[in-house]
Amino acid sequence: MNRLKPRSKAAWTFEFLFVLFFGVLNLVPIFWGLITSLKTPNLINTMPPVIFGFTPTMDHYVRVLSSGFFKCIVNTFMYAIISIIAGVVLGYFAAYGFVRREFPLKKLFFFIVVVGIPLSTGSSVLLIPNYMYLLNIKMTNHWYTMPLIYTAYHLPMAIWQLIAGIKGIPSELEEAACIDGANQGYVLGRLLPPLLLPSVAAAALLIFIGAWNDYITASVMVGGNDLKNIQMAIYDYMGYFGQEWGPLTASATCAIIPILLVFTFLGRQLVSGLTAGAVKG
Amino acid sequence: MNRRGTLRRCANSLYTLPAMILLFMFLIVPLGYTVYCGMYQYKYMVRGNFMGLENFIYCLTDETILSSFLTTFFITFVATAIAIVLGLLLALWIDSRTGWFSYLIEMIGLIPWVISMVVAGLLWRWLFHGDLGLFNVFVKAIGLDPVNVIQQKVPAVTALIFVMSWRTIGYAMIMILAGLKGLDHTLLEAAKVDGASPLQTLLRIKLPLIKSSVLLSTIVLTVSNFTNNTVPKVLTNGGPLDATNVITLQQYNMSFTYYEFGRSSALSVLVMIVTVIIIACYMKVARYEL
Repeated sequence: MNRLKPRSKAAWTFEFLFVLFFGVLNLVPIFWGLITSLKTPNLINTMPPVIFGFTPTMDHYVRVLSSGFFKCIVNTFMYAIISIIAGVVLGYFAAYGFVRREFPLKKLFFFIVVVGIPLSTGSSVLLIPNYMYLLNIKMTNHWYTMPLIYTAYHLPMAIWQLIAGIKGIPSELEEAACIDGANQGYVLGRLLPPLLLPSVAAAALLIFIGAWNDYITASVMVGGNDLKNIQMAIYDYMGYFGQEWGPLTASATCAIIPILLVFTFLGRQLVSGLTAGAVKG
Repeated sequence: MNRRGTLRRCANSLYTLPAMILLFMFLIVPLGYTVYCGMYQYKYMVRGNFMGLENFIYCLTDETILSSFLTTFFITFVATAIAIVLGLLLALWIDSRTGWFSYLIEMIGLIPWVISMVVAGLLWRWLFHGDLGLFNVFVKAIGLDPVNVIQQKVPAVTALIFVMSWRTIGYAMIMILAGLKGLDHTLLEAAKVDGASPLQTLLRIKLPLIKSSVLLSTIVLTVSNFTNNTVPKVLTNGGPLDATNVITLQQYNMSFTYYEFGRSSALSVLVMIVTVIIIACYMKVARYEL
């Protein structure tokens, strides 16, 4: 399968230029945001813009982080971690039930899960409905509001990931363990989890990205500095700092760093998770 | 025996029940509740008189809402089409490559998709800035007049479409690539042996076989772009003069600027109906099964 045909120089150059263009287009906003966040206000307003060779300043970061931004980062992490744990645990049991057990209404339940996948990609469809409903039952503006919503929104996808994982484990393995005297608790608690690690990672990763990046749902459901998440904080800065691009890009950079870190180390898992739902052929 | 069997089957549903209760609470009940709210007059969260279908009729006849629907359809269609076509081309191209090179392209392609829409919107807004933006530096460098992108009608719509497709090209590429990787290689080999040109292989074998993964990503991106309100809100905030006032933004403003919750509920139901139609197509293509 190796292509041994030598590529012509022109084709190679074209390809190189194309990759360069693609890379620049995708990365330039992040790069430029980072550069801007390290410049003094005077330097930001200099035309033509300076790209290299200036003394970086951390002033904008200090200013942003001292104005309550850190609390928002902590909030967002808390929302994401609770959602990941709840989503993975609930998703695990549900997926196990779907794959290995028969029960009434199974078809209907599965239908709801599958419809939930695209429905929660466009979670702003559910924005007004959920707002009206949660306000009515007085569940907005609590510490548990956002984790609950994120868990519910990402649960269909987590179940789908874990179904794929459990289907990949032969049921003979469980039967053999049961013959050897293992009970259901052992099977669910000890035997399966290590084998499901890739699916769990994919599900956790997608929940993390969803919870970390959400703006619109949080902005409607919770208010006040105690419950604000990071994206809400950035949006509010756009009103607060106005045309001061230094602090704005500094806050944006802070929000990107965790995502890029996770993405760098678990990129493969993310890709396999995203494509787990794709049809074969 | 039979009764015990039934009992056992019911006990089996306990595995899925906690998850299903949560899904029911946050996905199903709110939908029903909105239909109900849409039939009442709401002022500042106080429920007024029963209005029947009046709110729905209002939403279907109001000129601002209708033009907003048209804007949304247009932006969604163009942005999705661009992302799918470019994603398909990219996927076909890196499919012929292996190893770190294709991995690098995949990762670079996905970065716009993993960063948040608020951050992406903010960063592009900065790049498109009238006086200080990098975009205008580039425009001036190639000898054209600078454009104040966000403040003018056509440039603003173009910028919105651009950012929407920018963030989804990588996703389309990954999904289509997965379809290509799943192809049966013996088929392609056979075609080669039979003397099919690369173009013929592409048009007659590859494209028909990856049709469903292309369709599936088209549908997912259509739903995602149609219901996207964060990017328009951050990038252009509906302006200038409603040029980018997409339906979800209209819905948001109706609720949280004018507090017309009855009308916005009715509008939500309409948006939901459109989404459900798209999702129905998705279900048909995806052929999900247990």
